[in-house]
Amino acid sequence: MRKFTDLDSIGDDEIRIIGDRKINKLRDNRWIIGIVAVLIIGLVVLIVSISKDDSQPTNESKASSPSKATVVAEPTSEDVAEEPRVERLGSEVTDTERGYCERRDTTINDVPLRLFIPHNARASLHLGKLNKADTTIIYTAQAADVRADNGGIVGAFVLRGEPLAWGLSKRGYCAIIDDVVTVGVADNSPLFERATETEGYFFRQYPLVDNGVLVDNAPKGKTIRRALCDRKGEIFMVESLSAESFHDFAQTLVDLGCDNAIYLVGSSAYGWAVDEEGLKHEFGEANYYTGRRRAPKNITYIVWRR
Amino acid sequence: MAKHLIISTATELVRIVPQHIVYFSSDGNYTTMMQIDGETRVLTSLLGNIEKRIEKQLGNEGKAFVRLGKSLIINSSYIYYINPAKQKLKLSDAATFCHELPASKEALKQLKEYIEKEAE
Repeated sequence: MRKFTDLDSIGDDEIRIIGDRKINKLRDNRWIIGIVAVLIIGLVVLIVSISKDDSQPTNESKASSPSKATVVAEPTSEDVAEEPRVERLGSEVTDTERGYCERRDTTINDVPLRLFIPHNARASLHLGKLNKADTTIIYTAQAADVRADNGGIVGAFVLRGEPLAWGLSKRGYCAIIDDVVTVGVADNSPLFERATETEGYFFRQYPLVDNGVLVDNAPKGKTIRRALCDRKGEIFMVESLSAESFHDFAQTLVDLGCDNAIYLVGSSAYGWAVDEEGLKHEFGEANYYTGRRRAPKNITYIVWRR
Repeated sequence: MAKHLIISTATELVRIVPQHIVYFSSDGNYTTMMQIDGETRVLTSLLGNIEKRIEKQLGNEGKAFVRLGKSLIINSSYIYYINPAKQKLKLSDAATFCHELPASKEALKQLKEYIEKEAE
């Protein structure tokens, strides 16, 4: 039996120019660039540390000049760690502006993404069919999943302080309490109780990013993905414009700089956004639930209203 | 006279000029060769062996061929469209044939970079 060793000498993620024997040349170049970059950084760190040592008085010099007054050096820029300024993804808007949803398209890791950034709007959850004519809504997307067998909401769910579903099926959560949206990943979150006490909202979904770290999920396959994200306190939604796996989508969110992100119902799930000009941009299939296909009674939405 | 690629096994021999080959795809112990005239030929040879023959027989001319992952060798002369995000690769002469082939995102990304670099 013939062996497949010659086929195994190249991975599915590699290319090889035949006749050139440049095995994965491009990737090799990256390694070289990486190594050179590390060496340069190392050299810079070494020079900085040497120059610091030189500027500090040695024990010997201290002993030879005991009468000299102690000089308190002013903090240099190296001493004070400057907090890196994180640029917001959304535009700066004044509070007086009419609420709208900013749409921004970008590509990360070759994954085309559309960002939906709400401005001057309040988040809440909605249960049941949405009124498409509601002009106060500037963004909406399906929030929690609905069980196929009994139509129940998957995971804990609180609607304006009223708990409608319990249980932990997914570790990602979103809590909306006093108009503050919190996105996180936890088995138990005190925000569930807080939501019930403060007429707040709470739902669970697949976790995608937990404190900047990608979270893998069991479901495989590729489809249009959506997410609710928190990036340095800026809350926004992301939609992949191409079918992606959970893993690839979550990786783009990590690379986007998201601290926490949870899934929103993807694929053909319907929703819309209203831009600055008041134009409505729909996504998903508006007429998905028609004919024999009926919308689940417990369909839920996250809604941003101006 | 143009160089020919000769693929000879115990039972058969195929002799073809490289420009007439669009791609080779692996099918286990066999390799399928797609020609520009639309004809496909199943060769009783591993894709790796085909790769070795290309390198040995065509030398520098073999550079037109690119091994793309475990399952493909393509004739880069016919690359018409690459979209790594959508994992799309189309080989076409923009006249008589257009083949869409599957490949990984990373491999297509590298192929795109290679083609871009070649164009510089």
